[in-house]
Amino acid sequence: MVMKMNTRTFIDRWLYIEIGRVIGVNMSMCVGIRRLSLVRCRRFSSKPISQSVKSLDDECESLNTMYSDMFTVPGTSKDGISESGSVDELDELNSELNSLYHVGFQVLDSKDLEEMVKSKGRFIIRSLSNDPYYNLALEDYVFRNTPIAVDHESFHSQRLMFYVNDKCAVIGKNQNIWKELYVKELNNNGYDIIRRFSGGGAVIHDLGNVNYSYLTSRDEFKREFFNEKIVHWLLGIDPNLSISLNERGDITYNGYKVSGSAFKIAKGKSYHHGTMLINSELEKFTGLLKPKSTPGIQWKCNSVDSVRSKVANIPLSGTNAFIDICADGFRSHFTKNETSIFYCNESSSINQEIIETMEKLKSHHWKFNNTPSFAIDILNGRYSLEVDKGTITKSNPSHLIGLSFNEFVDHVSKEIDPSILRSLQ
Amino acid sequence: MFSRIARTSLQKSSLRLFLRAQSTNTLTKTQLPFTYSASGPSFIKYTNEHEWIAAHEDGTAFLGITKYAADALGDATYVELPEPETEVEAGESISSIESVKSASEIYQPVAGTIIEGNEQLSDSPQLINEDPLGAGWIAKIKLKDIKDLESGELFSIEQYENFLKEDAH
Repeated sequence: MVMKMNTRTFIDRWLYIEIGRVIGVNMSMCVGIRRLSLVRCRRFSSKPISQSVKSLDDECESLNTMYSDMFTVPGTSKDGISESGSVDELDELNSELNSLYHVGFQVLDSKDLEEMVKSKGRFIIRSLSNDPYYNLALEDYVFRNTPIAVDHESFHSQRLMFYVNDKCAVIGKNQNIWKELYVKELNNNGYDIIRRFSGGGAVIHDLGNVNYSYLTSRDEFKREFFNEKIVHWLLGIDPNLSISLNERGDITYNGYKVSGSAFKIAKGKSYHHGTMLINSELEKFTGLLKPKSTPGIQWKCNSVDSVRSKVANIPLSGTNAFIDICADGFRSHFTKNETSIFYCNESSSINQEIIETMEKLKSHHWKFNNTPSFAIDILNGRYSLEVDKGTITKSNPSHLIGLSFNEFVDHVSKEIDPSILRSLQ
Repeated sequence: MFSRIARTSLQKSSLRLFLRAQSTNTLTKTQLPFTYSASGPSFIKYTNEHEWIAAHEDGTAFLGITKYAADALGDATYVELPEPETEVEAGESISSIESVKSASEIYQPVAGTIIEGNEQLSDSPQLINEDPLGAGWIAKIKLKDIKDLESGELFSIEQYENFLKEDAH
């Protein structure tokens, strides 16, 4: 599995570099090619194909073929389920390549981003970045700046956003980071840790998981709405796919959870965002989220608990296939006008507000000290602590007062049993 | 087994929803937001974000969310309380309520200084659902100027109920 991942990453990078060299365009644009490849860009992709690009296509064909071989499960199409009636993947990749070459403005610059987000209207945003801080900050920016409907006019500014995060653990706004996550283990394995702005429980992300985010007005907010739509759209592609919604509104495949949801409501607007596991390396997720209880440790806190579930990947060819299905579904749900898709990345589609949100998300204070106050008893009273904003405010023994909880864990690391210590880290 | 629990709680919550729907968005007369002063609050106002604010003669006000909002959010599982002695501007977020995986921001409609958050909500967030206009108050605030509540942007109870009716269309 490790080898597979490494090879894939290597080939990816190599492919971008090769294509970048051949076309002679700016490398930052090329980073998006893989992700652009399967997403139709109706607004921009009707440009005529020039002769020079055609020959470029020939030159790139072997690369492209190899690319599509790498990422397509044998016998599946872009929708991952049936070969018949699908658009040729290569043609699409090439057409994206062409439009990229010709216009180069698919990626919104900061001015366009601001203008789009602050104007009324429906659209889809696809982030080309895998940086979880950027993606969450961009999502928050869109959420804050989408105009609300005034004087009871109906809301026409629904937005749908997609992003794929590099490996990270994401906890809900009101969770206890130490109770939910094996923080040290995550750090050792190169996972970022993020506290998001929405509620709900802890999840692990990697490049095989795609995040969707559906924004609408507070009045239209309905927890089940978007997941019901996703199930409907997926069944429209393959009626035999054994997916459904469970009692908690989560999407399941053969009874396993494949998607988790969280919600945010503020200033007359709401969003529902969720994960969809597609080709995540699930075996690597074990040992990163803490179980509900661990021997020797008693937590007393009012923070939000995660609901532990068995998870699985949904059988689609890749994250792009899922994005395609949802983007098409979103368009067909709002039939009145064509819905544009815009691409964003952290080098072009950035502004001060997004940068500040990223800084907040990265801060130790937000990640750790925003943990709701809690009490903890370790080994039947050997250590009995109360922790407020990450700092010990009451303690038996009393000399620990004033230490941060992380300092406390370091402090006692040589004194307590490694298995207990692990449950605190 | 899990599905049975889920179903039971679903039935319970729909029953509760039914009961809640019978009550109104008026302040609970037996609880602190109302009884704080002998004469009762001099202003009770509502926002289009579904908060209520009840201010007494001495400039002390209580803030919470309406019955309508509490019903719409579902069972509260966590309430993030405001910090005492924080100065807040009109329109600033001072708290959030988590219910069924959604974090919902609460805004301060007029400027003031937080005296305290309702500590009872730490252990009993369900008060938000049981008595949102009474025991489920969220913040006690010293208003900068009680006259700010006369602003045209804030609703009286009648205006708020009309706003809800119009919203339903």
